Amino acid sequence: MSLTIVLENSGFPTVLLSGRLDTHTAPELDKALNNLFATSGQISRLVFDLRELAYLSSAGIRCFVRARKTVEPGGGKVALVNPQPPVRKVLDIVKAMPPGGIFSSTAELDAYLDDMQKKVQSGED
Amino acid sequence: MVTNEAPRAGAFRTLRARLLFWILVVAVPIYAGAIYLSYHATAGRLESDAISEADQLAARMAMSMDSVIRPIESGILTVAFQLEEVGPPRTEYMKRIRGILAAWPDIYGSTIAVEAPDAATGAFAPYLFRGRDGDIGYSDLAKESYNYRDLPWYRVAAERLQPVWSAPYFDAGGGETWMITYSVPFFRKSAQGKRELAGVVTADLDLGWVRRNAAAYPMESISMGWLYPALPEADFVAAVGDSADRMRQFDAQFDPASVRRVGEDMLRRDVTFAALPPAVSSKAGYLAIRNLSTTGWHLALVIPREQLLAEARQLLNRQIVLGVAGLLLLVMAVSLVAAGVTRPIRALAAAVGSADDDNLDIRLPERPGLDEVGVLTGALRRLRDSLQRHIQMRAGTLAAQARMDHELEVSAQIQQSMLPHGQSLRALPATVEVAVALQPARQVGGDLYDFFPLHDGKVLFAVGDVSDKGVPAALFMARLSALMRVLGASDHGPARLLQEINSRLAEGNNACMFVTVGCGLLDPHTGRFSYASAGHDAPILRRMEGGVSVMDTENGPAIGIEDTVTFEQREGVLAPGDTIILFTDGVTEAEAADGSLLGLDRLLALVDAAPEGAPQLLIGRIVEQVSSHAAGFQATDDMTAMAIRFLPAGVVPYSGPEGARWRIDVTPSSAGVAQAQSRLRGILHARGISDEKQHDVELVAEEWLTNVVRAGGSHPAGDVSVELTLQRDARIALTFRDFGPAFNPLAADAPDLDAPIDDRPIGGLGIHLVREVTDDCEYARVDDCNVLRVRFKGEPLHVADHRS
Repeated sequence: MSLTIVLENSGFPTVLLSGRLDTHTAPELDKALNNLFATSGQISRLVFDLRELAYLSSAGIRCFVRARKTVEPGGGKVALVNPQPPVRKVLDIVKAMPPGGIFSSTAELDAYLDDMQKKVQSGED
Repeated sequence: MVTNEAPRAGAFRTLRARLLFWILVVAVPIYAGAIYLSYHATAGRLESDAISEADQLAARMAMSMDSVIRPIESGILTVAFQLEEVGPPRTEYMKRIRGILAAWPDIYGSTIAVEAPDAATGAFAPYLFRGRDGDIGYSDLAKESYNYRDLPWYRVAAERLQPVWSAPYFDAGGGETWMITYSVPFFRKSAQGKRELAGVVTADLDLGWVRRNAAAYPMESISMGWLYPALPEADFVAAVGDSADRMRQFDAQFDPASVRRVGEDMLRRDVTFAALPPAVSSKAGYLAIRNLSTTGWHLALVIPREQLLAEARQLLNRQIVLGVAGLLLLVMAVSLVAAGVTRPIRALAAAVGSADDDNLDIRLPERPGLDEVGVLTGALRRLRDSLQRHIQMRAGTLAAQARMDHELEVSAQIQQSMLPHGQSLRALPATVEVAVALQPARQVGGDLYDFFPLHDGKVLFAVGDVSDKGVPAALFMARLSALMRVLGASDHGPARLLQEINSRLAEGNNACMFVTVGCGLLDPHTGRFSYASAGHDAPILRRMEGGVSVMDTENGPAIGIEDTVTFEQREGVLAPGDTIILFTDGVTEAEAADGSLLGLDRLLALVDAAPEGAPQLLIGRIVEQVSSHAAGFQATDDMTAMAIRFLPAGVVPYSGPEGARWRIDVTPSSAGVAQAQSRLRGILHARGISDEKQHDVELVAEEWLTNVVRAGGSHPAGDVSVELTLQRDARIALTFRDFGPAFNPLAADAPDLDAPIDDRPIGGLGIHLVREVTDDCEYARVDDCNVLRVRFKGEPLHVADHRS
């Protein structure tokens, strides 16, 4: 198995990817995401944890893009966390994520989320 | 080694002959010398005895002649005396004369002649003589015509007034024959009382009587003799005995006259016996000369030397005959003695001489005796028995040795069969090529190699070197081999495997043997390997495109020394076409006659110089190098070399001027693409390319190939390939080929990456990545083939170096 997908549902749905996300393994992620979308309803935030991901090619990018196309129209956001340098490189070249979509660490994401929380709360006031 | 020998033909080869020969060689000269000396002494003695005897014989002869004549003299003297004493008248004279003739028959004639004043007065000389017919004849000497007083026979005596013998004369008018006369003067008293001459009495001996007398003389041992008057002018010689005949026999030229001269000369010198001068006689002889005291005649005796020595010679001949007879007796005696003495030796030689390589059961004489031969016999007997025992023992030892050799051969065969060979090679995956050579120094050795596939398809390979050689090493090696097979079947990596093997071998390792092992595990699909070493020489890595290096490994201790030990494991990758070479120090420490070792450098150079990395080729070269280096020098260590080449299907390695190239066939499916990626990763990793570069290459390959596969529909196998080139300028190039329909994804527009997510196209990202990641890329359609060439930025390749 060159791709392992672990779904955590604590807080935001987090997809933990380890191994390789390429043409060969991308269909598996697609299948897993389809399942997730089917069962989760509206997702406000989808997190992909990439710390264990060693390789990413355009097929994997497509997975993320498809995920974005599903989540963002509903107001949700997709976040990619802990990309390894080769993965980061590929993400950057194809501009897979909008600015602020890639977080180099979980702490950064938490901080951002706290920030957003505050903004929302202050925005509602 | 006793061989069948008899004394060679030839008289002097036997002991007996030599004994005989040398004894005689010594004895005969002594004997002959003695005889010779004896002869000389005897001959000398005999000669001088003969000489003195001859001398004395001459004297005796003279004396005996004298003894015939002396009575005549004394008779006449008596008559003379009587005439003087008695003074008979003249008439009595006749009677007296008759009496003389009667008394001495030898006298021829006699007279009493009276001294007269003159011839006319008073001459009176009656003479009586023996006639031929025996009667007495008378003659009157007082005749006028016969003046007897003047005749020598009267005058000399009358003058000398002494008896005297006359010289020979012819008495004409008297006896009418040659004679000699003994004249004795007689006297009378004169009137005055003075003694005066009265006359002369004579006795005549005719020379014929003298001759007859001499001739009748027995010669005895005298050869020749002559009697002659002292006066040389009286030419008369009477031969003694049969000297006349003998003279002729003695010397044809012999002349009695010269003998006479010599004799007289001798007498003058008062010599009675001397050798005849050569002038007188050509044959050696002696002359004895004697004076007859009566008549004063000379008796000359000639004795030829030969005769003189005849007796001596006889004696000598007798001596020689006796001597030779004695010598023959000596020879016989010595021969018998030699035979007797050498009999035991000959018997011994005969008995022993019959022995040869096959038949040592010689018969020795039973009763050897107490002398040296007996000692020899006894010693030979002991030697024979000891030799027979020794031969039996040796036969036993040889039999044991033969059994041992046989067992060693069988052990060698067993050991050979323990090592994987032909069949095992076939059991290996096709992607792994193995060649191996093992040469034990003795029949069985302590080197070991092994390779076998595990259940998961990985290939375990190992080379080991036990600390000893020969049977102990082989036994230890057998244990190791078994352990390796059994434990290797479990999923241990090389390091763990060595650890396990060590803990089992180290316990109860009383012989304190140890073994160095290099052990590895090769994935025959990817070329990845892991390796661990227990004190063993690090393997050599040969790159497909050339270039050798020594694998850097952490070496643990040799197995068998410490009870628990851990080993470092090293991971690596072989690119397709790369070869890994394991060896034991029997290769690098192969010793030439001059003591120089082969050495790691030479081995590296050899592997580097090979035109390609085929294991058979490399192993063949290594074996050849070792044997030519040792050049017949006795191998002191076992030698092992193993080469393993990784050559997966679907990859063609090629080394060309532009660099190292691998052409990878791609199965047109996503799995195939993934496999191609994996292959590329392996090659780049094997060549030490950075992870980042590896990732770029892999990405480009995936993106393009995925496109090709997607666009091309169905591709027959072999249609799609990607070629990786590690250029000499340190740049990496990829060349994609496919025989599908013309398709150039590069021609498509770049995707709009900034479009909002809804508008973002799914596709096109791959090509974008390709363009972004590579340095340059170009597409061409060549002969129904889509060809995409891309190049990456340069990066110094991991340069192959030799471990110093």
